[in-house]
Amino acid sequence: MPRSDFWSGLVVAALGLLALLWVIPNYAGSNPFARMPPGLVPSIGAWLMLICGGVIAVKGLVQMLKARIVPLSADLHWDAVAWAAWPFLYVAVAIWFMSFIKITWFGAFLIAGMLILLGERRWYMILGCSVVPVALLYVLSVYLMRVGVV
Amino acid sequence: MDFAVIGTAAAEALTLASFIGIGGGVLLGYVVGVIPGLSRSVAISIAIPMTFYMSPYIAISFLIGLSKGTAAGSAVSAILLNAPGEASSAATALDGYPMAKQGKPKTALQIGLIASVMGDILATIILIFVAIPFARVALLFGPYEMAAILAFALVFIAGLSGGNIFKGLAAGGLGIILGTVGLDNQTGLPRLTFGYAELMDGMPLIAVAIGTLALSEMFIQSEKLRYERGTMSVQLKKDDSDRITWPIFRRILPTILRGTGVGTFVGALPGLGPSVGSFMSYGMAQKAAKEPELFGKGEPKGIAAAESADNAVIPAALIPLFGLGIPGNVSAALLIGAFAIHGITVGPLLLRDNPELLYSIFAGMILASVIMLVLGWYGLMVFAQITRVPPHVVIPIVIFFCLAGMMLQGYGTFGLVILMGFALLGYLMKKYDYSFVTFLVAFIITPMLELNLRQSIILSRGNWEILLNRPIAMIFIACTLVALVTLIVRTFRKGKPPAGAPAVD
Repeated sequence: MPRSDFWSGLVVAALGLLALLWVIPNYAGSNPFARMPPGLVPSIGAWLMLICGGVIAVKGLVQMLKARIVPLSADLHWDAVAWAAWPFLYVAVAIWFMSFIKITWFGAFLIAGMLILLGERRWYMILGCSVVPVALLYVLSVYLMRVGVV
Repeated sequence: MDFAVIGTAAAEALTLASFIGIGGGVLLGYVVGVIPGLSRSVAISIAIPMTFYMSPYIAISFLIGLSKGTAAGSAVSAILLNAPGEASSAATALDGYPMAKQGKPKTALQIGLIASVMGDILATIILIFVAIPFARVALLFGPYEMAAILAFALVFIAGLSGGNIFKGLAAGGLGIILGTVGLDNQTGLPRLTFGYAELMDGMPLIAVAIGTLALSEMFIQSEKLRYERGTMSVQLKKDDSDRITWPIFRRILPTILRGTGVGTFVGALPGLGPSVGSFMSYGMAQKAAKEPELFGKGEPKGIAAAESADNAVIPAALIPLFGLGIPGNVSAALLIGAFAIHGITVGPLLLRDNPELLYSIFAGMILASVIMLVLGWYGLMVFAQITRVPPHVVIPIVIFFCLAGMMLQGYGTFGLVILMGFALLGYLMKKYDYSFVTFLVAFIITPMLELNLRQSIILSRGNWEILLNRPIAMIFIACTLVALVTLIVRTFRKGKPPAGAPAVD
């Protein structure tokens, strides 16, 4: 854990610093007459991130030094990274598609494609699992919520 | 108590619509709970969009029924698969699975069900008798007290839900920042919206909840498929000797009552989830047993202890929610969101402004427990079959419902992009052990915290000495500081590796 703690702590602290130095001063607004400026509460959150992220990173660094672990490891399994990343990419592409086509018309293909990629080969399972949820969504949106096809 | 209001509430709970709504929630919860990997919070976050067309009472009761159903359902997979539907049922698997392997799967399931229902009903009764007086006292609290209590709850949850107070507070910090996005109440100006009109109402709760809880969990589950696939479920057979008997029930009854007490206590404290409750109850049952060596080998008391506490936590977690408006765990935090969607402010004001709804929800909770018993008892064989549904079939369907939930909310592609962003955030938080519970609770309570803080500062005109006249606020400020110091010390002590331990990364 020390290595992941070090890097994650560093990222959290950097995000806190970014919020304090750039995001909150530029986007939180201001009210010179208010006793409590609009940026106060977000600043508390940012300070929490900065301080706690810093402590996590320092703690991780000390543990790494004690255990003689280097901060970066070359032992990265790219196939494992690819396996973890493809569902994100799949959903991201699906979201892009959904800016053109409604999910009700496209949903069955979305489910069927992922089922096949995850190793399902039985046609009746693919058909049933992809059509039934879409039919349920249709009933929910059109007949129960009456918001039309989504 | 106003008996006319209670009578109206009971009548509303016994309508057909109520039966369908609550029964549907319990049934859906049962099915979700049986499937390993789908937790209570995942189920609630996906189900919230389904409640848009329901009345507030049916919607909240549906979600509470769902929550109760998942707790009971997760025992089925723990007993038959040795793969708990959620972490809190892991203690059930310790004795449930060995008992099922010994040829008594139905007995184990029935013990689990009865313990669940009894724990649930008793904790609901305690909730009713505790939450109302609690809310009456809380109505006397001003902004100073509420701000202090909210700060205390946040620190407590940050320290206890993840184990590392710094990671918890860092996650809470991010939740606080994101909770302030939208129009500022005081100035009426957009805050942290980056020019997006869609963010004027704040960061969409559905996107935050579904993204960090459900969608990220599906990404983690699909990653796990690379390493583990097949599961072997113990089959239920028709065997008349495999059923719970009166002597078994009499033997486990004290354990159920003790487990309910433990679960209620743990549930009422913010930050301690059902996993803590079920394991604490299991440990206490083992210590109290005459033959503790039988635990872990199919001891009925082990199942009863874990399940009664697990289910008692759910109603008990609503004590701080209804009493103070503070969510003690993720499910309660999501319920705040569901109340908000229906235009209701949860907390002590609910008792003053909408007592009929509060009593109706209590009545609905009792009804949900009864439905849970009937469904669980007669649907045992069907639910046992669901354990055979492989995770690779569940993942795409849940992802579809996550995206559909966002579209039903009406946010369009912008909402989906936000959802995806939170899914990535949730994935990273789970991977690097940052408490997403604290993040979500901080995100939800920040507007309330800011409002009370602002009112305190305006009322006191910036004079902090006024706090000296507010003993309750002072007590909670002191408790916050003590909790903070204690949790920091605990985190540092826990971080020290034992002497001679090898370096692991």
